[in-house]
Amino acid sequence: MLLRRARPVAAARAGATSQKAATLVVLAVALVFPLFEGANVSVMGIAIEVLTYGLVTLALNLLMGYGGQVSIGHGGLLAVGAYTTAIVATRFRLPFIVVLVLAGVVTAVVGLLLGLPAGRLRSHYLAVATLGFGVAVPQIALNLGSLTGGFTGLIVPTPYIGTIALNEPVPLYYVALGILALSVVAIRSILASPTGRRFMAVRDSEDTAPAMGINVGRTKVVIFTVSSFFCGLAGYVFALNNGIVEPDSFTFSLSLFFFAAVIVGGLASIWGSLIGAALLVVVQQESVSLGGFSEAILGAAVVVMLLLAPGGLAALPRRLRGLVAGAWRPHPEAVSAAGPLDQHRAPPSAGSPGEG
Amino acid sequence: MTVFLQLVVSALGFGGIYALAALGLTIIFKTSNVVNFAFGAMATVVAMVAWTANVSLGLPIALAWVLAILGGGALGAAAESVFLRRVEGAPPIVGIVMTLGLLLLVEGLTGLAWGYGPKVIPNVFSGPSIAIGPVFVDRNDLFITGLALAIAIGLHFFYARTRLGLAVRAVAEDAEVASLMGISRRWVLAVSWAVGVAVTGAAATLAAPSISLTPTMMDNIAVFAFAAAVLGGLGSLAGAVAGGFAVGIVANLIAGYASTNLQLTLVFALIVVVLYLRPQGLFGRVARVRQ
Repeated sequence: MLLRRARPVAAARAGATSQKAATLVVLAVALVFPLFEGANVSVMGIAIEVLTYGLVTLALNLLMGYGGQVSIGHGGLLAVGAYTTAIVATRFRLPFIVVLVLAGVVTAVVGLLLGLPAGRLRSHYLAVATLGFGVAVPQIALNLGSLTGGFTGLIVPTPYIGTIALNEPVPLYYVALGILALSVVAIRSILASPTGRRFMAVRDSEDTAPAMGINVGRTKVVIFTVSSFFCGLAGYVFALNNGIVEPDSFTFSLSLFFFAAVIVGGLASIWGSLIGAALLVVVQQESVSLGGFSEAILGAAVVVMLLLAPGGLAALPRRLRGLVAGAWRPHPEAVSAAGPLDQHRAPPSAGSPGEG
Repeated sequence: MTVFLQLVVSALGFGGIYALAALGLTIIFKTSNVVNFAFGAMATVVAMVAWTANVSLGLPIALAWVLAILGGGALGAAAESVFLRRVEGAPPIVGIVMTLGLLLLVEGLTGLAWGYGPKVIPNVFSGPSIAIGPVFVDRNDLFITGLALAIAIGLHFFYARTRLGLAVRAVAEDAEVASLMGISRRWVLAVSWAVGVAVTGAAATLAAPSISLTPTMMDNIAVFAFAAAVLGGLGSLAGAVAGGFAVGIVANLIAGYASTNLQLTLVFALIVVVLYLRPQGLFGRVARVRQ
């Protein structure tokens, strides 16, 4: 019996250590990456896109996986961040950090406004409302021509740190990496804080959360606001990477892309978000010449993931470890970490009430 | 005043299309409690099949239509039995994810199968507009409106007055008890999806002559159809039709008095306001705890 108790704990500790090791390895690779590929502009462009989309996917996962909400309009939030960057940078000479923070803050405010009515909506209605938001933002941008340059968009002026131009591939890569790393740290601490626990309480049961003294409506607004802030930061990098911000960059397909990345990577998983985004960017790049392939593959990936591996890619190591360890009893933490999508295996008669 | 009336009347065509699309969505939602986000993409397949039958194979348009709609029914039934059946009884998020995945998949496959170049397909009815009082009505628009109303009324009678309709409502209400009474849930769901996709497919085929036939043509229409269905209340047939025409008319008025580009934005604003004040939509019932 002592052995059986010792094994799960040891396994968990081993899991934590191997996660830390993996993080360090990935970070090291990310840091030295430009030394090898720095001269290749297109590869660097893709790398920056991975970092940018990774951040948005993370922000969306915060909303969906940890907050229990739905959004198929996060492309709209990215657009807000990108346009804020372009508009502010075009009109004022400000240090890049100020523009960056402004992009985040403005998008957070928009997210707050979105979260107010969205807080009253559940699942389907919320999905439709965010869908509408996602397609409305580029349209609004199209119409406010004097502010946003309308159809032709805005060219993003080059920010400088000293003499380094930030929209050159290598400097921008490091800026993006820094923003992503800091965001991950920030999100992890939010999730570990009482606020984060409020998110998850609302996610797990909207009906019983009030019994614990949680103001559900307010918590949902906070979830949207926080998620939007990080999208705003990503919007800053997006604007610099593309050089120009125009309405056509922010299609419904983009919002769907982020949604797919969250599902494929795994709900409620930071690593999953980053892996999912990276994978999908690569898939998209590889199939750009093959027309509808990227869409079909994305769709197939989502459907297959949902049916076969609802926890997403992030859950695979846990499952593999379970297989390899043979008679290993699952650690209690692993069981409760089963995501919202795993519930689809419940038999119909288990009709769980009130799952938003 | 005449301008206003004319704008309203010319909105009947697209209003009917949104109404039909919203009806298709509602039929599926009523029975399986799933919002089929892929409905636009599935409907596009129907329109593409009609194009292939009419333009490539040279069949008369009416026959091409019928074949396409039957094909749409088959597609809907297949989607239900292969994909959605596996996630029955799950929380709503699962259905949302599944249908969004299907949206990407179907749209991608449509692009691969038919290419992205715009295609031309003729209207069912053509000819000069009919003058009614001070306004002109397009023949095709009249047909679309009539069709939408006819289907809506037909469905109402189906659900309210026929045994099969009763069976469908029973499954929607409580599938387990319904199966105890010998009603086959599988069959009812498959048929609901078949009819739902067929009706939305009809909408797409009717829209195709006006907006060029491409794999992504239903994207914009889908947003308006969602607005219509949500406005009317998900699960309400009358709401879907009323919502469809309302959205169509409002959109056309916006296009006429303000700008075409503002349509999506203002329709979205409309959805948000309505949902904020009345989360169950205009005709919907208050959401039951069983979801």
